[in-house]
Amino acid sequence: MTVGVSAEERQKILEERKKRFRILVCIDGSDECYQSLRYAAKLGRGVDADIILLYVRPVDQGLRSGGLEVRVARENMMNWGLELPGIQYLKKGRDILVELGDMAEDWAETSTHTDVEGDPLGDNKIEYRNEHGTSIVLKLKTATGIATGILEQYELGPYNMIILGASGRWRGLAKSLWDPAVAEKVAIHAPCSVLVARALEVGHGYLICTDGSERAMEMVRKNAYLSSHCGCPISLMSVALDMESKGEAQKYVDEAKNMLDSMDIEVKETIVKVGNPVEEIIEAGIDYSLIIVSDTGKSGLQRFFMGSVAFKVMEKANNSVLITR
Amino acid sequence: MRQENSKQNTGGKNGIHFSALPRKLHSNNWQEKFHAGELSKAVALRSQLILYFFWEKKWFFIAMLVGAGMLNLPPPEDLSRQGMVVLTMSVVAIILYVTEPVPLPTVALLIVIAQVLLLGLDSSDVAGSLMNDSVLFIMGSLMLAVAVVKQKLDKRIAWLIIRITGTKTSRICFGISVVSGILASFIGEHTVAAMMLPVGITLITLTSDDPKKVRNLAAVVLLSISYGCSVAGIGTPSGGARNAIMIGYWKEFFYDPTNPETFKFIVDYLKWMVFAYPIFLIQLPFVTMTLLFTFRPEYSDLSRAVVKLRAQVEQEGAMKAADWAAIGIFFLTLTGWIFFSGEIGLGTVAIFGAAAFLVAGLVRWEDINSGVNWGVVLLYAAAISLGLQMKETGAARWVAESFLAWLAPFGASDGVGLLAAVSILTTGVTNIMSNGAAVAVLGPIVLKMAVVAEESSVVIGFVTAVSSSFAYLTVIGTPACVIVYASGYLKTTDFLAVGWKMVLISTAIMLLAASIYWPLLGM
Repeated sequence: MTVGVSAEERQKILEERKKRFRILVCIDGSDECYQSLRYAAKLGRGVDADIILLYVRPVDQGLRSGGLEVRVARENMMNWGLELPGIQYLKKGRDILVELGDMAEDWAETSTHTDVEGDPLGDNKIEYRNEHGTSIVLKLKTATGIATGILEQYELGPYNMIILGASGRWRGLAKSLWDPAVAEKVAIHAPCSVLVARALEVGHGYLICTDGSERAMEMVRKNAYLSSHCGCPISLMSVALDMESKGEAQKYVDEAKNMLDSMDIEVKETIVKVGNPVEEIIEAGIDYSLIIVSDTGKSGLQRFFMGSVAFKVMEKANNSVLITR
Repeated sequence: MRQENSKQNTGGKNGIHFSALPRKLHSNNWQEKFHAGELSKAVALRSQLILYFFWEKKWFFIAMLVGAGMLNLPPPEDLSRQGMVVLTMSVVAIILYVTEPVPLPTVALLIVIAQVLLLGLDSSDVAGSLMNDSVLFIMGSLMLAVAVVKQKLDKRIAWLIIRITGTKTSRICFGISVVSGILASFIGEHTVAAMMLPVGITLITLTSDDPKKVRNLAAVVLLSISYGCSVAGIGTPSGGARNAIMIGYWKEFFYDPTNPETFKFIVDYLKWMVFAYPIFLIQLPFVTMTLLFTFRPEYSDLSRAVVKLRAQVEQEGAMKAADWAAIGIFFLTLTGWIFFSGEIGLGTVAIFGAAAFLVAGLVRWEDINSGVNWGVVLLYAAAISLGLQMKETGAARWVAESFLAWLAPFGASDGVGLLAAVSILTTGVTNIMSNGAAVAVLGPIVLKMAVVAEESSVVIGFVTAVSSSFAYLTVIGTPACVIVYASGYLKTTDFLAVGWKMVLISTAIMLLAASIYWPLLGM
């Protein structure tokens, strides 16, 4: 249980956090994750966001190592003064932020350690904070699985967005036969927006998709605001299922455009297509750095069993996809 | 429940809050809606949780359904009712073991419960069948493993290797494989992997701080440790749990104190070494060659790292009395295994070694207690107990006969063909479960196959025990791979890239030994 923080204080901290825009960036040492970190930094600049860098280390399991707990080996490593896997990845992430100017060396630094049962190392956290209260956190977390770890981290402090790369390490070779890939699992269960980064390069513009629903319009507004802050050109898109409803789709796009115009946000182009929404969105999305789709509001399992356009786009697209909730 | 131990106040009163965005954004009061939405989501999530529980545990229910279905089928003609029950238990246990919907030791507990409830055995009999010399050996050698790792002799071993090999990468890697292998062949691969892992990582990090620049070097050095240990596990009976399990099965299945003909089924320590040690030694050079060809390290000379390592070793000072005592106990245990394990059992010697380390005060019980995963002992105990019931109820014989009938059209029902089939089967199973468990499950079946096909049970047993170490393809296959993977320097694909070559080489070497070398020994 918590040491030194009462439930009330914790509640207060959570309330404070809700007021801030918080981005959770999952770091796994791949190039993709650092690209998405750069993107997070750019996105966060406009709203003075907190950025949390997370590395999840699967908890050591003695059953697979023939009965000798892996912690014996790990303790031995620590006796030699060797660093934990993951720490160097997180430090590299911090260096990138310093390089980009989103963080300075003189930020106040606090480190915390939480014991995790069955693991000699537990969770470790370093928080950097400037005088305005913006914080950047490096967190090394231990969890039974990578996806579980990311979702558990969400529980600890609400985040507005989770960014993760859909690269190799997320998919354990043997496990993937039974388990969906990490990105998939996080996207299903996380209650906040999830960005799955694939070779994320800022600058090619955003493709925001809408289906005309009130919810989708709200998402368009929120996303357009964020994207305008990183100065990326915005394109709006809507897909009609057949020719008859094409006019309707055109109406949605125009509505969205008007809304953005009134917010002084420039819309580069509007696209209306007819056909299967998933295929059309993926095809049109190739030229953009990011496809933004809004989730239909189905929850967890419903989403898993019935599927949704947003989810299928995330699964099949070749470039980065942001699912907003 | 865990919570973040955050003593810092998240303050942030001076910052620009997200809620302080321009009014335009608030035109629909979206933030209120946002929070209301979150609340309803939380409620919906709770109602999903129950369903989610079933989804996560789906394999448990599938396994139970398969079990219920098999129990309700009429048993095949030549299989008794009891045999069918044991067969069902094995199938369900394997499904649970591989898909892991519940913590693995639970599978052991379920086996015990099923033995009493479904087979109608007496509870005390079941409890008695859980403990025998093989299980005692597994327990003792795990305790011994923690004790040996805690002695911190690794730096001295590393220095010894490098003094002999010099600073060339290829020679150092070969040296690491040889020394890791020879040690592992006596005290088990996980012990040596845990001990040598920091040596490998130190050599890598001292060469370059940037992991990207030493990716291939890391793969070669670390895999030299893990494969060196893995191929060595077959060398002696104390090299791995699977060997002890096989020795136990031979004795249990064929040994009859009144019949001198059956005395050949008592395989003692030296006899095992004569059979298996050459196979291990022949594999060693192939390990280094395969690794160097597959990865081609960035640095061909590690003198920079070696100089720094030397400085570290010199800080340790001269050997202390405790170090000598540890080495003494180690060799005493070794002598016990080689010369006395035939009479007093492998398990007793292992327990003796662990006790000696504790008596000498070289290791704390707390370290042993937290360093050994006792669930593994439980798993092996249940697996061996189930294996023996496979034999007693005739289930093993039935599976063996069916399998042979299925192999016959391929010409693999006898001779080298059968050996190859058994080897492929074992290699397949061992890559998806741990190698000890693979032998515990397959042992009774392959030994019965040998009886039915009128082949040598000892040779088939060796083939199974040896092939069970060929789990080079996946990370979870062998303990040494799991431990080395935990360092974070390797990818799962690294194991696959070099693993398939190792499987082919090792299988070929073993089949050669089985068809040429072992017959020379009179088997």
